[in-house]
Amino acid sequence: MEKTGWLKKIAGIAGIPLAAFFITTILCGVQGVKLFETEGNWILFFRAAASVMLTTFALSLNLNSGRFDFSIGSVALLSSVISASVCTAAGLPTPVMLLLSILSGALLGLVSGMVYVIVKLPPIIVSLGVALFYEGFAFSITKGYGVSFVANLELTSFPGVVNYLLVIVCGLLLFVFLFDYTKFGYDYKALLSGQKVAVNTGIGEIPNAVGCYTIAGALMGAVGFISATNTGTIQMALNFGSIGTMFTAFLPMFIGGFIGRFCNEKIGYLLGAVTTAFISLMYARLNVDASIQQIVTALILVGFLIYLNNENKIIELVMLKKYLKKRQI
Amino acid sequence: MKKFWALLLTMAMAVSVLTGCGESAQTQTDTAGNAEQAETGNADAGDNAAQAEAGENAQAEAAGLDMSNTVKIGILVSDATTAEALAFRTYYTDYIQKQYNVEMIYSDELTDAAGETSAIDTFITNNCKAVISFSSFDRAAQIEQCEGAGVYYAVATGTLTEEEYETYKGYEHYVGAIGPSLDVEFETGYNMAKHYLDQGKTNFAIFGGAIPYYTEMHIYRAAGMITAMVEAGGDGASYQGATAKEAIIGQIFADGEVKTGSVGNISILGYVGGYDMDDAWFGKCAQMAQTTGLEVILAVGNGSDFFGTAIAGTDVKIASVDAYASSYGEAMEAGMLDYLAGKFSASIGPIFIATYRAALGAPVRTAEGNALALSQGYWIAQNAEEFNAYYAVDSSVEAPAYTKELLDTLLTADYAAFEEFVGKYSFEEIQGM
Repeated sequence: MEKTGWLKKIAGIAGIPLAAFFITTILCGVQGVKLFETEGNWILFFRAAASVMLTTFALSLNLNSGRFDFSIGSVALLSSVISASVCTAAGLPTPVMLLLSILSGALLGLVSGMVYVIVKLPPIIVSLGVALFYEGFAFSITKGYGVSFVANLELTSFPGVVNYLLVIVCGLLLFVFLFDYTKFGYDYKALLSGQKVAVNTGIGEIPNAVGCYTIAGALMGAVGFISATNTGTIQMALNFGSIGTMFTAFLPMFIGGFIGRFCNEKIGYLLGAVTTAFISLMYARLNVDASIQQIVTALILVGFLIYLNNENKIIELVMLKKYLKKRQI
Repeated sequence: MKKFWALLLTMAMAVSVLTGCGESAQTQTDTAGNAEQAETGNADAGDNAAQAEAGENAQAEAAGLDMSNTVKIGILVSDATTAEALAFRTYYTDYIQKQYNVEMIYSDELTDAAGETSAIDTFITNNCKAVISFSSFDRAAQIEQCEGAGVYYAVATGTLTEEEYETYKGYEHYVGAIGPSLDVEFETGYNMAKHYLDQGKTNFAIFGGAIPYYTEMHIYRAAGMITAMVEAGGDGASYQGATAKEAIIGQIFADGEVKTGSVGNISILGYVGGYDMDDAWFGKCAQMAQTTGLEVILAVGNGSDFFGTAIAGTDVKIASVDAYASSYGEAMEAGMLDYLAGKFSASIGPIFIATYRAALGAPVRTAEGNALALSQGYWIAQNAEEFNAYYAVDSSVEAPAYTKELLDTLLTADYAAFEEFVGKYSFEEIQGM
């Protein structure tokens, strides 16, 4: 019985990413392409995994508490603009840019959180306003040209498997530590499970919400850094053009939520990000058209949501079939 | 106290949102020397009007052009963030608007034909006398709308198709179009590819930019590149069976992409199109740039920003079509950009003058009384030295390529003189004017 439980657990944890790996490998194989052929393929895979994992952490942090935050993409944009501008102007090295990105992201997140708790408007409205403001601010300080440091070999030297692995490991450990081993994390969980009761027991919901926005901002600062150092350019976005970043995290968040039944939810988010990284790599290897990518991604997301919402019915159906089969025998 | 802070922050948010929308509000008036300020007695705008008045030269007076009233011109844009769009905007707002008694009102970054219609409506409500369009979702609808409203309409940095021109050339309020024709776009791609084919390069990759969205100028540039390859590819060379210019253009239109493969002795080793900017897309770009044996990446748009880091330390060359921005200079210095066919920001000066003249009651028409249809080309930089020389002029808001002195000669020019002026678009020709 215990063995069956462990097997079920392992299957629940590794099933989706392994299925994604096998399916993408088979699809590439059918086309005569290897999923992982060059170092560049590995770099793409780990960059996508790192970037999506951090975005998923940032999105889930507030979304799980009912705060829909449309501004996370704009935080990534503006924080990377700030750090890249400073580092290119002052000739600072890559680690400083990473640090500056995280710090400016945290500050922007803090501002976003402060606006939310003080204005007390619905978070969706506040985050839209903040997104517009940050996009406009990034546009203004770069005069619309964005930031280009393509020729700066120091700052564009970051992309590499080891560096992205470090980001993944450090990001995951910090996130797990913050939310599973600190008072802040306990408060966060208490507020999640029952806000009124938690507040009555003395937990400060406002500091916790501001803290969540700040941490989400720091995470998005790292995402902005990863994105900027990939090509050495930061393209401007206006009119909510930065919101797309948020949507990359929905599928891994739902997958992570499912996997979280069998292990720590944060590991679930990582595995969700790994799943989407396999899919992104397959798109790149097969040179899949953008419109087809969107359709496939949407189908996967909708299919997964349909499964989650009808899980019991599907299980009942499978059990019923088994039962009928047994009876026939 | 809490209410006070809430109110204060709400106001700050509102201001922030408006600031954020600053570049993207449905219509956004550039403040420098605008006429609205002139009308309200603002000193800057007054100076602007005075400058314009002082600038009225003998030619304008002789032609009876009354330049004392501020003319409002609506600018339709579908792009507000690329180097090219920003350079054009800087030329209009930081130079033209300060030299002439005009007010430029910019539209939002338009994304569809409905947005164009709405923006033109707003211009009309704002009493704009003319519209200069950088947006091409539905040119025909724009022209019809402006004609119906009695507002002059001009196309900047583009041209109409022959069919469209035949339809609208006689419209009273259609000023015309000045910009690279599709033939010029084809030539640009052709010359770019030929530049490398003449060096003996045989392994290419193509960045197709907006080809998946069926943007004609990008398709024509790519067709030009492929045509040059077919010509250099030896006996029997063809692209998907096509050898003639028209057939190649048709093939790209039919496929919505460039197919990789051999063109005789020449190879197209890789192709990426679109501007998806997601992980998969950047992966495709890096993968293409790192293809074994690749020698040159020919980009129908910006190439160095997307492929520059991927080719760092290799011998792969990148050739782009875009504008003159400082980042491209740095990329050229670093060997990440080898060839640039760039639009110069002042290239939109002549269409402004044509539009301005129409609004002042002295339109430029052909001998048959038709609208303008003039073609311009690009400035080609093949090394950092050339780039820096071009960029110094192109980025100047004190002495751009087309200064007021030069543009004033167009205030009274007839069609032939106008055509001759526009036709001399190379850097050297303009410097020699």
